[in-house]
Amino acid sequence: MRSESTRASSAAESRYRIDAPNFRPRTVKVVALDRPSEVLAARLEQDHWDGAMFLTASAFSARPPVGASFSVQAWLSDLSGRTRHLLEEIAGADQVVMIACAGQSVPAAGIIGEACSLKRVATTALIIGGDAASDAALSRTLAQLRPWALMLVVAGSDAYVADMLRALRA
Amino acid sequence: MLRKEHNDLLTKTGPGTPGGRLFRSYWLPALLAEELPENEGPPVRVKLLSERLLAFRDTQGRYGLIDEFCAHRGVSLWFGRNEESGLRCPYHGWKYDYTGQCVEVPSEPEESGFCTKIKLKSYPLVERGGVLWTYMGPPDQEPPLPEWEFALVPPGHSFVSKRLQESNWLQAMEGGIDSSHVSFLHRGELSSDPLFKGAKGNQYNLRDSRPVFEVVESPGGLYVGARRNAENGHYYWRITQWVMPSFTMIPPRGGHPVHGHFWIPIDDENSWTWSFDYHPVRPLAPDEVEAMREGRGIHVKYQPGTFRPLANKDNDYLIDRAAQKAGRTFSGVAGIAMQDASLQESMGPIVDRTKENLVSTDNGIIMARHRLLRAIKNLMERDVAPPGVDILHQRVRSAALILPPDQAFKDAGKDALSVRPGVAHASV
Ligand code: FES
Ligand SMILES: [Fe+2]
Repeated sequence: MRSESTRASSAAESRYRIDAPNFRPRTVKVVALDRPSEVLAARLEQDHWDGAMFLTASAFSARPPVGASFSVQAWLSDLSGRTRHLLEEIAGADQVVMIACAGQSVPAAGIIGEACSLKRVATTALIIGGDAASDAALSRTLAQLRPWALMLVVAGSDAYVADMLRALRA
Repeated sequence: MLRKEHNDLLTKTGPGTPGGRLFRSYWLPALLAEELPENEGPPVRVKLLSERLLAFRDTQGRYGLIDEFCAHRGVSLWFGRNEESGLRCPYHGWKYDYTGQCVEVPSEPEESGFCTKIKLKSYPLVERGGVLWTYMGPPDQEPPLPEWEFALVPPGHSFVSKRLQESNWLQAMEGGIDSSHVSFLHRGELSSDPLFKGAKGNQYNLRDSRPVFEVVESPGGLYVGARRNAENGHYYWRITQWVMPSFTMIPPRGGHPVHGHFWIPIDDENSWTWSFDYHPVRPLAPDEVEAMREGRGIHVKYQPGTFRPLANKDNDYLIDRAAQKAGRTFSGVAGIAMQDASLQESMGPIVDRTKENLVSTDNGIIMARHRLLRAIKNLMERDVAPPGVDILHQRVRSAALILPPDQAFKDAGKDALSVRPGVAHASV
């Protein structure tokens, strides 16, 4: 026998959807992988965010590793220049978003990606400026990111980054 | 999560709304041509973008789409007599032609010319590919007629249906670009539906239920790519097209016809889900058409005499809990179309997007909203025609492809993603 006191939705029934929070804050770490993305991240950092934190790994692309003495800890930093420990940062994240600009070389993607899979943290990669870049340039950046991202987005404009972070409640 | 103001902008499409102006930039499917099968046949009530209209076919076979209500005292012209090149209101005999122009007011002396002072709002209505299309925007900005491939193939190559969806258009459309639900909700249909089964690509789908996604902006909207592993380090790609505001094309499977949708607002709480199947290089086979009529694939069975699905919210979509438990269907609802519609309608007529918790795999949806909002802004502030109006944006195809691991699919699949007359879809 049916005992349901409400049936499939009508506008009137929709009013009774419980109005209580159904989430807890999440920590989204946004990592700029190259210089242009770092500029973008610095601009975004000025906004108000719920749980977004902005980091940069652009130093890595500027200063390629030399031999075995290279330390993976030395190149991840926050935007004020403080060095951050990669694995600790990743371990404290619910979601890592890597940002690159089309055509840039982003060697840090592999190391961050590896750290994310080690810590079982979901990764998203955003490539900005996909419209303007040549196919070859885009493919170069894409190939470095693709193995590490569960979701990869090629966006025409950098305005997408803020919209995406808001949609994710970052 | 989407802010309430943005949700309102995207979901409200009535006259005078920004979202309504967006939809009024395009040719939209209004009715099936078969709904007006003969000259001087009965008129059909049409609500589109929250406007009540009446469609009819006059003595010469011209299609009219006019304000539903008589300018005299507001009677619905649905009761009208379709005779001698016009529709006559049965109350006091005022008569209108297919452009809404009043051509006769029997109470007034003919010489007075009074009828020339009366005109009902009307929109153009044009047949193409078995669909009657209308454009509801400013006449001086009317774009060229639509060039979607399914509407241009020879008769017999396509099958088009529509069904009533009792929800806002956006939550329905978002289902069309939400590739991550396919591995759950529709997992049973890949091997059972006559319009899907047997394709080689299905094996990749079934072997790898956790695809990786790539969302790429296209000129008219988005490519949503789902990637699975294939042989020799290659990837099996399924690339869905979304063209603004609400056209999607699903990637093909083997040699089956390819299909897709339009989601068109009736009002803010109801929409038409249009579903098309076509094959660019061959007529549909009788058994394929039969299956489509039977409601297989992306089509549905109807309540007799209506476009309302047989499984609907009043009968709980005929949910079969035993089939759900046994895994014959994932949700207990039968058929791909109603599996989608039941869940989308269950969200309520306009889902409250402030309560969502989106995740990374929802980027297709996030990007679509982002582009729609941007298009609305550009249209409202700078009169920029939105993407999808340009017929080049309409000449697109979905594709299923095997590609090497390091290439951008919009690059490697360039040919496959646009219309190539006389060539079949790229499919696996
Ligand atoms: S799991 Fe996606 S709506 Fe419930
Ligand atoms: Fe679906």
